[in-house]
Amino acid sequence: MRRYVQAENVYALPLLQRANPLDLVYVGYGLAIVALVFVSYLIGTLGWLPHDPRAMNVALINAAPFTPGHLLGTDFLGRDLQSRLILGIQAYFLPGLLAIAISLVGGSVLGILAGYRGGGWEILVSYFSNLLDSFPRLVLILLVIAAFKPDIYYVMVVVGITGMPVIANLVAGKIAFLRQKSFIEAAHALGLPAHTVILKHILWLNCRAPLVIQATLGMAEAILIETSLSYLGFGVQEPTPSWGNMVQAGSNYFLQGNFWPSTAPALAILATILGFQLLGDGLNNLLEGKRRA
Amino acid sequence: MKLSAVKPVSRVLVRELAVTALLLAGVSVVVFAILYLAPGDPLRALGVSEAQGVPRTWHGQYAAWFARVLQGDFGASFRTGLPVLPELARVGANTLYLTLGALALTLAIAVPIAVHAAAHGDTAGNTAATIAAYIVSAVPVFWFGYIVVYVFIHQFGMFPLISGTATRQQHAWLYSLVPILVLGTASGTLSEMVRHLREELSRVLAEDYIRTARAKGAPVWRHAFKEGFLIPATEIMSAKIPFLLGGAVIVEQVFNWPGMGRMAWQAAQDRDFPVIMGVALVAAAFVRLGNLAQRVVFTAVNPRASKE
Amino acid sequence: MMLLSIENLRTYFYSRSRRAFVRSVDGASLALARGETLGVVGESGSGKTVAALSAAGLVSGSPGVIGGRVEFDSRNLLDGLEGYVKVEERDARVMAVEKDERGWGKRAESLMAGVRGKEIAMIFQNPRAALNPYATVGAQLVEAIRLHTKWKSKSEAKERALHWLERVRIDSPRLRFDNFPFGMSGGMCQRAMIAMALCAEPSLLIADEPTTGLDATIQARIVELLEELKAETAITTLLISHDISVIRRISDRVAVMYAGTVVESGAASQVLRPHAAEQHPYTAALLASIPSAEAIRGKRELRAIEGEVPDTIDRPRGCRFYGRCNRVTDAVRGRCANLEPPLAELAPGHKLRCWLHAA
Repeated sequence: MRRYVQAENVYALPLLQRANPLDLVYVGYGLAIVALVFVSYLIGTLGWLPHDPRAMNVALINAAPFTPGHLLGTDFLGRDLQSRLILGIQAYFLPGLLAIAISLVGGSVLGILAGYRGGGWEILVSYFSNLLDSFPRLVLILLVIAAFKPDIYYVMVVVGITGMPVIANLVAGKIAFLRQKSFIEAAHALGLPAHTVILKHILWLNCRAPLVIQATLGMAEAILIETSLSYLGFGVQEPTPSWGNMVQAGSNYFLQGNFWPSTAPALAILATILGFQLLGDGLNNLLEGKRRA
Repeated sequence: MKLSAVKPVSRVLVRELAVTALLLAGVSVVVFAILYLAPGDPLRALGVSEAQGVPRTWHGQYAAWFARVLQGDFGASFRTGLPVLPELARVGANTLYLTLGALALTLAIAVPIAVHAAAHGDTAGNTAATIAAYIVSAVPVFWFGYIVVYVFIHQFGMFPLISGTATRQQHAWLYSLVPILVLGTASGTLSEMVRHLREELSRVLAEDYIRTARAKGAPVWRHAFKEGFLIPATEIMSAKIPFLLGGAVIVEQVFNWPGMGRMAWQAAQDRDFPVIMGVALVAAAFVRLGNLAQRVVFTAVNPRASKE
Repeated sequence: MMLLSIENLRTYFYSRSRRAFVRSVDGASLALARGETLGVVGESGSGKTVAALSAAGLVSGSPGVIGGRVEFDSRNLLDGLEGYVKVEERDARVMAVEKDERGWGKRAESLMAGVRGKEIAMIFQNPRAALNPYATVGAQLVEAIRLHTKWKSKSEAKERALHWLERVRIDSPRLRFDNFPFGMSGGMCQRAMIAMALCAEPSLLIADEPTTGLDATIQARIVELLEELKAETAITTLLISHDISVIRRISDRVAVMYAGTVVESGAASQVLRPHAAEQHPYTAALLASIPSAEAIRGKRELRAIEGEVPDTIDRPRGCRFYGRCNRVTDAVRGRCANLEPPLAELAPGHKLRCWLHAA
């Protein structure tokens, strides 16, 4: 049974009120996660951790959450999990931003070349995009690690480059849309110089929302890659914590029935990736989706 | 429903093959470039060096290296000394099995949710399912693997690891379903699959020709199938193969599954260039073949595709 | 005996962004006798297409059909609707609707099974978009034949399909049989769609803007075809169009719709007579706005109807045409502004919804 009620005063509602409430929940959760990650990153950088993440406390091994003094418990060596989790953010935060920056800038350039110049450029960019999409990211990263070194920044450069096709496609698509609506023709007719048309009108006015959305999704991807790599042993090395290597280290104890040291970082990964994903998809539905009448 | 005339279709297919070949060539260039720029001169270890009469220029080295690759000579593993390609062929089949099985499972989960959501709109049921899909897609697959292993050990008394020789032969194939289960659910592609399939099916169901089919009293699914399901499903499957291959690297680790992914991980640790190079080339080839298959389906189904 | 009788049909759509109902069809009544062609004319947004879709059970959207009766061949196609819909009114205006859409959907499907496609056939505007682009024209025709006629085998159905393609005067029927819609012109696609609708030998054909979107010359051809088919088969037709010349040519009776209701209905010769004494102001304005040959030669200004199509959301209190009517007199102004006139029968078969002509 669905119920529809006509409002007393009929007027056009602002975005917040006519939005699908589920999307608002998504965005709300996502923003909360982003804020938490950012604040935790700062705390980690400033060193304001509740405990020394490397300090082992043999007396308090495998403490459960809410043990006095250890909000999230301790791991199998008695190390405070909360501090380790907070420090683990350092492993992906800045590298993730690097990857996003490369994707956005590189992808935008390619998208503009393909969309604005068209013709041969379009074919070239299309080929380049398909080429990059041919590699499973992890395999390519392993190749780069084997060839060079297991440096997270090298890895994130690869992630950034492989993230360019999506952005290029987005920007080129927007340009095609604007072209169809004759915006670009009109701008030229008004005598606007190319760089103004591109930077102000295409990118800023029309693309900024989808680009921000892609940035959030890119961060989710970066976290996934970094944690997977450190799980596999290629990222941050013990005793420095990374969420991935924490899961890996705790795995031996997992099968013996001691779940928490492995599960706490896994839940952190889950909650964080979910947050960025939901933020991206929620914003997409709100801002870019077909306005459901 | 006839297929369009054969001749124009085969012309388009030839073009698709050519594009695939060009892309594979590009793949080889990328792989070569990484090897060329790597410190430690891995190319020499691969036998592509001055000593064997190969010119020093990069294109000379590329030509020599590419010629070897085309002949199936991927060098020999630094670690085991065995030639790479036969080894890859052996384990590659295992990875293919894992990847395709997982892809099928993800599809099997995504399709009912997407179809129900497209046909009936936002109900409590499919909203819950969509949220569940999001959560499942964010679960780290390595941790999920442990959960599944734990459940199997303690609930079923089985230890689902595959070694080269399975002691319990008759249950061996059942064990193989476990990593497929893990990769199929937690590969991170589930929510996107649901979203893509749902969007496309909803879009097609709103098309004029579906309304005509309804007006005609014809079964809607028959008319909506090609554009609303077959094409989007093959599209998303082909697009997600690279992600599943990446997930396979991890899952093969967790389950000690003898596949390409585990081989790649080992090779990256040992800096075993021939192997990791071989894996990269074969993986990319898988991806492109999947894409080619999708293009074939698209051309076969779409009457306009062959009239270009 | 009326083949189709629509009584007091109401079809609403809910706009989430404006939290209001779009009252597409707001109490419309039409009737069609066997063998006759009823032309429904009106501006875009008058609700004529939605009314036809409602009768055929093809409305998609929430809440959709919420009230009325659609009697087809003595069966009520909306039978039981009241059980699935609850309407709350205030000051004679619908303010809230509760509808069990899935339940009604299932019931409607069972009511329409065997009717849609077989006894009621429908053709649409934009014929290229209305045909399945992934199947040949022939295959789509054969599907209809095998579904609804006694010719079940593929070869028999193909023969019938070719027969119908010939009857709609399509050129090279054998060639067109294997064509896909994208390779055919709009006119040819429309002929194919007509063939597809008629091959099941339905009792009622609903034609929704069949000429809109086609070239002017092709429009004339299609109208010709419909005329010929009408003479050949004596099929009952509900023709919807905003183009009065098309309506005038084929219709026996005409209904004029405005803002979701019927404002005038009667014999075509009566309703569409220019400068008639007993005529709805909207009909008069519509007819006056058609440029005539002398008007064009004399370079006279085109007479458009003043004002805009009313917002289907915020419907005014009285007569819907009040704001744009240029025949209001002081005697009736009070009623026009506050009370909606009923659809009254002025003479047998001629109904008007206007205070100027009420008893």
